[in-house]
Amino acid sequence: MKADQNTVSFTLNGELKTFATEPDEKLLTLLRREGYRGTKYGCGQGTCGACTMILDGRAVYACLLYAKQAEGRSVRTIESAGTFEEPVEFQKELIAAGAVQCGYCIPGMVMSATALMETETVFEDEIVREYMDGNLCRCTGYEKIWIALRKVLDRREASDKAGNNSSAKGAK
Amino acid sequence: MKLCEFIRPTSLSEAREALRELGPKGMPLAGGTALHFMQTKTPVTAVDITRLGLSYIRQEGDFFTIGATTPLSDIQRHRAHGWAMHEIARNISTHQIRNVSTIGGNICRVFPWADLPVVLLAMNAHMVIYTGDGKEEEVAADDYFAAQPAKRFNGGNILTAVKVPVLKAHQGFGSVKAARNAAAFSLVTVCALLELDDGRIKTARVSAGSAIPFPHRLPSVETALIGREAVSAVFREAAAKSGTEVKWCAREGMSEDYTRQLAEVSLADALEKAAAYANGRTK
Ligand SMILES: Cc1cc2nc3c(=O)[nH]c(=O)nc-3n(C[C@H](O)[C@H](O)[C@H](O)COP(=O)(O)OP(=O)(O)OC[C@H]3O[C@@H](n4cnc5c(N)ncnc54)[C@H](O)[C@@H]3O)c2cc1C
Ligand code: FES
Ligand code: FES
Repeated sequence: MKADQNTVSFTLNGELKTFATEPDEKLLTLLRREGYRGTKYGCGQGTCGACTMILDGRAVYACLLYAKQAEGRSVRTIESAGTFEEPVEFQKELIAAGAVQCGYCIPGMVMSATALMETETVFEDEIVREYMDGNLCRCTGYEKIWIALRKVLDRREASDKAGNNSSAKGAK
Repeated sequence: MKLCEFIRPTSLSEAREALRELGPKGMPLAGGTALHFMQTKTPVTAVDITRLGLSYIRQEGDFFTIGATTPLSDIQRHRAHGWAMHEIARNISTHQIRNVSTIGGNICRVFPWADLPVVLLAMNAHMVIYTGDGKEEEVAADDYFAAQPAKRFNGGNILTAVKVPVLKAHQGFGSVKAARNAAAFSLVTVCALLELDDGRIKTARVSAGSAIPFPHRLPSVETALIGREAVSAVFREAAAKSGTEVKWCAREGMSEDYTRQLAEVSLADALEKAAAYANGRTK
């Protein structure tokens, strides 16, 4: 039970990793220290969503979790979502909609949207709002982010209706 | 709160033994989201209780049993006949917090803004506490929330489950959380459980929290309801009695009188919802 106090092991973006840590360290601090800087530090107290990542399939705030809470679990950060050269569908739509201003909130938005798309099959506005309600954007007024997300979700719903399960691959 | 050590027991008895030995130097850790609100002079050992099989919702006879480490998002998603916990769970903070915060964390150390104690008081829930040696104790909400429950856990005891009654055909539950926006802390939270008999109120449990220092039942409101017709005028009249037992507090930007009015309007709304539920008009 008193496992090593100064290490933590978890699957990070699909790869099992062990990191040095200490009991009081936050998961966000560890990730950023280890070079995973896509996950942002905004408020540090669970109110802005900039640090959103996915823990065992659920969107969570990395700033509130102790690194050791992740032991043995699966952690996914924005680094798993897409690259500059090959953005994922939602990232492409964000760019197309002009929904990115300073960009600080965007990694968190993408991770919340990822959790939404991986968990739900029906994307009624009410459900979408619920998944996105923990991500603040101080620049855009949300309108364009919403338009971009809605495009991706509408496409998925249409594709699911047409019986095509490969909708996750998305538009080019 | 600073942590000096993090341990992960594999059984309930092991967790309790560790907490008992650690005394004030130890602390159960569920979601860990409330630790930011807590200050201690010396760092503590966190005893992770999230891997003890205490995350579940099952129906057992007349109760829904909710495991202590069940996250709020699971409570929000759950649907069953006679279940009414989802509405308030949806109104607690944000998606990411609900995925981590647990029912136990919300009620083992009650912060003034906590919403679930208000619900559990109105619902007459029972809290199940592991007291060691394979023994459990069941405490009814009125007793459990009579004072800060954190004291009950000082000796290393662990909350294992919350039992919420399955609502019967003629019963209805309604809750209102008034807040500045969907993710904000509550300005006032009120809940009502009504039992109707031919359009009249047979029994009532009404509670409030957030605009008062600690969650509380409102017996004067309950008395003003019993035996009366379940109609809006009666709800408003009863809501106006709430000041008898609690003193609504002035808050940031809100005068005492504003809080009182907000509480009364919210109470009337919660009673309407409870009556509509009992009459089978809502899901
Ligand atoms: C930004 C933010 C906004 C929030 N807004 C709201 C809100 O509007 N309404 C609301 O109700 N809540 C709100 N919360 C959640 C709430 O205040 C607590 O953070 C949460 O309920 C605690 O749950 P937890 O599982 O994280 O508990 P923890 O932080 O792990 O524990 C909290 C306390 O309870 C003890 N404890 C936990 N489980 C047990 C157990 N099974 N047995 C014995 N002791 C136990 C711990 O030792 C600790 O003292 C908010 C939280 C945050 C961070
Ligand atoms: S940095 Fe985590 S929610 Fe703001
Ligand atoms: S684009 Fe700047 S915070 Fe959202």
